[in-house]
Amino acid sequence: MIRLESAHFAYDDGEPFLTGVSLAVGPGEYVVVAGASGSGKTTLARLLAGQTGGDAGSVFRGAITLDGDTVTFDGVPSDPRIDPAAWSERVAYVAQGAWGQLSMMSATVAEEIAFGPANRGVPAADLRRLVDDVAAALGLKDLLHRDPRRLSGGQLQRTVIAAAVVQRPRLLILDEPFQGLDEEAARDVVAALEELRAHGTGVVVCEPLLPPTDPPGARVLALADGHAVFEGPLAEARRAGLGRYGLGIAGDPPRLGRGAGPAPVDPSAPELVMVEGLGFRHTQDAGASGDAAVLSGVDLSVRAGEIVAVRGANGSGKSTLLQHLNGLYRADTGRVTVDGVPVLGQPTGMLATAAGYLFQDTDQQLFERTVLREVSYGPRAAGLGRDDAVRRAADALDRVGLGALQEAHPYELGFVQRRLVAVASIIATGPAVWALDEPTAGLDEPTRSMLAGLLARHAREGGAVVLATHDAAFADALAHRTVWLEAGRISPRGAATGG
Amino acid sequence: MPRRRIYNPLTELLAAALLVVLVLVVNRWEFSLAVLVLVVVPAVLLSGRPRQIGLAIVLVAGPLLVSSLLLHGLFYPEGREVLLDLGVARVTAEGLAFAAGMGLRMGVFTGVLLSTAMTLDIPDLLATMTHRGWNRKLVFIVGSAVGLIPHVSLRARRISRAQQARGLVVGRGPVSRFRALLTVTTPLVIGLLVDASERTRMLEARGFSSSAPRTSYLPDTDSRGQRLARRAMVAAVGLVSVIRLAAAMAA
Repeated sequence: MIRLESAHFAYDDGEPFLTGVSLAVGPGEYVVVAGASGSGKTTLARLLAGQTGGDAGSVFRGAITLDGDTVTFDGVPSDPRIDPAAWSERVAYVAQGAWGQLSMMSATVAEEIAFGPANRGVPAADLRRLVDDVAAALGLKDLLHRDPRRLSGGQLQRTVIAAAVVQRPRLLILDEPFQGLDEEAARDVVAALEELRAHGTGVVVCEPLLPPTDPPGARVLALADGHAVFEGPLAEARRAGLGRYGLGIAGDPPRLGRGAGPAPVDPSAPELVMVEGLGFRHTQDAGASGDAAVLSGVDLSVRAGEIVAVRGANGSGKSTLLQHLNGLYRADTGRVTVDGVPVLGQPTGMLATAAGYLFQDTDQQLFERTVLREVSYGPRAAGLGRDDAVRRAADALDRVGLGALQEAHPYELGFVQRRLVAVASIIATGPAVWALDEPTAGLDEPTRSMLAGLLARHAREGGAVVLATHDAAFADALAHRTVWLEAGRISPRGAATGG
Repeated sequence: MPRRRIYNPLTELLAAALLVVLVLVVNRWEFSLAVLVLVVVPAVLLSGRPRQIGLAIVLVAGPLLVSSLLLHGLFYPEGREVLLDLGVARVTAEGLAFAAGMGLRMGVFTGVLLSTAMTLDIPDLLATMTHRGWNRKLVFIVGSAVGLIPHVSLRARRISRAQQARGLVVGRGPVSRFRALLTVTTPLVIGLLVDASERTRMLEARGFSSSAPRTSYLPDTDSRGQRLARRAMVAAVGLVSVIRLAAAMAA
C-alpha cells in the first residue's frame, strides 16, 4: 500500500539522517516506529504523510510509493510536490500536539470531527452518522456539543484522533497518540484502531517507548540517531536489548540510581501545600485550556520533602487543581496556601517564586526567542539582576542536559528538549513547590529517568512536588502518596500509598 | 454571556461593510457621529464582550487618532484661522475640524468592523457560505482569515498565562495591563509566524483546500427574508452612493 525508501533527509543545512531507512506498510498492518528523542521518528511520520519539507528548505532523497504510484525525490528544488489535499484523502496524519491541529473554525467537537469529511463533500446526513459512529467508538458522545478549545488534554487528543479516523483513510499515521490519555481512553483508541485495521487501514504509530501489550501482529521499526536499528515483531523487539539505544518499554519504572530515589517524609516537616475545601467552577470565559470539570470539597496537604501524584480520568479536574497552586485559577470556595503564602489575593506572577508550574502542553509555556532567555525569564521576573538570572538559567540548563543549546530558539528543539526547557525554567526560578502536569508524557526512557532523579532530588532538598499523571509506573516509583480525583472530588481510594 | 444571535453572520458582515461604505460616501461628521452613537456604541455594549471589544478599538483606533490629530492639527495647509503659532507648525481651527472629522470616521470604521469580527460566529458563517455555494477558494481565504482571530486571541491569553506562571505580575490598573499586553506582543507575533505554515499545512491536510464541492455539518441558518434583505441593503447603499456621487460631480 505504502512504501518509503529514504536515501537520506536533512533539515536546512543539518546533518543527513534517515539514511538507508525503508518502511513498507500493507493493508491492516500495525507498525510501531519506536525511538528515543531525536531518533527521526517524527520526520519519518511526516514523510509518510507526504510532508517532504521541500518548501521549508529541507532536503529529501528517496521515493514514496502509494498504491502503486511512485514519487521520486532527488533533493533538488525541481523535485515534485505532493498535493496535501489529495494525499490526505488516503493517508491521515495525527501529529504531536493536539492543540495545533484544531481547525479553529468549529464551535463544537462534532463540527471539528466533521471538518475533514465536509471539506471532501460528504453529504450532511452521512456526516452526522459518521460523527456519531466515531464518537461512540472513542467515548466522545458526551463531548460532541463542547467547544474543542476548552477540552482537557486527553479529551482533545481523542478529538483529533477521531477527526483523522472519521476519514476512513487507507493509512493512518499517529505520532504519540496515547500521550496524556487515561487507561480507558487509551483502550478506546486501541479498539478504534483495531476496527480500522479490520477494514483494511494500515496503522503506523510513533512512540518513544515500546508498547507493553501486543496489538495483534504488530511490527516494530526501531530508530536511533536517524538510523534503523531493529525491524521485526514487537515481542522480539522487547528482548532485543534496545535499551542501549535509549528505547525503554512503556509501563516500566524509571531507572533511579542507588540513593537517588525519594527519602521518607519527615512527619514534622512544614506543610508547603495546604488546600482546604476547594470548590471551583469554570466561567464561560475562563482560560483557554484545561478541563471544564468542577472541583468540589478538595482537601490536600503536601509537606516539604513529599512527592504526591494526582491521578484520575481525563477531565476529572487534575489540571484545574494544579493550576490553583500557582494562582492561575482562584478558588470559588475554600483556601489554598502555598509555601506559607495564601493564594487568594496574590497576583499570579507573585506566586511564581512559591510554586512552579509545568503546563501539560509545553508549547503553551515557551515564549522567548532563545533557550537561555526563556529559562532566565523566571529569575529575572523574581527580581534577580540580569547576570545572576543568566547564571541560574545556565546552571538549570546544565542540570537537564541542555547546556549546549542556550542560544537555540525553543521552537527549533524537539518535543522532549522543549519539555526539558520548561522544567529548567522552574528549576532556575527556584520555587519550593513544583506542580507538574503530565510531566512524563512523550518522554523517552533516558529523559523520563532523568526527570525522576530531578524530582527526587528536589524533594530530598526540602521541596514538594505535586504531579498530575497517567504514568502509573512513574507515580508508583516516585510518589509517597497518590491522590485520586473523580469528577472534581477526591475519591475514597485517595489515601493509596505509592511505592 | 455572548449575545443572542438574531441575524445570519453573512447578513451581519455585509451590514458592517455597507455601513463603512455609507460613512465614506456621505462624508459628513454629523452622520459619522450619529452612526457612532446610535449603532457602534449600542453594538459594543450589547455584544456580550464590551471590555474586550472596547480595548481592541482603543488599541487600533487610538494610535490612528493621535497621529491624525498631530498631522492635521499642526500641519494643515489650508488652515486659515490660526489658534496657536508654534513657528514650524501652527494649530488651525480648520485643521482641528478636519482631524476631528477623520478621527470620527476612523472610530466608526474600527468600531463597526471590530465589533462585527469579534462577535462573528465563524462556523455559522462558513456553513452559510457553503450552503449558498460560494467559491471554495473564497471560503478557504475567508475561513483562514477570520479563523485566525480566535486563534490569535487564545494564543495571546495562553502566553500571558505562561508569563504570569513564570513571574509576570499583572496588576488591576490600566498601565500594568498595558505593559502586560506589550510583553505578550513579541512572543505572540513570533509564535503566529511559526504557526502560520504549520496551520496552513494542517488545513490543507484536512482537505480545506481540496477542489471537491464542500458540505456542512451545520444546518442552513440563512433565510429567504435575510437573503432579500441583503440584496435590498446592497441596492440601497449602491443607490445612495450613485446619487451622492452624481450630486458631487454636478456641484
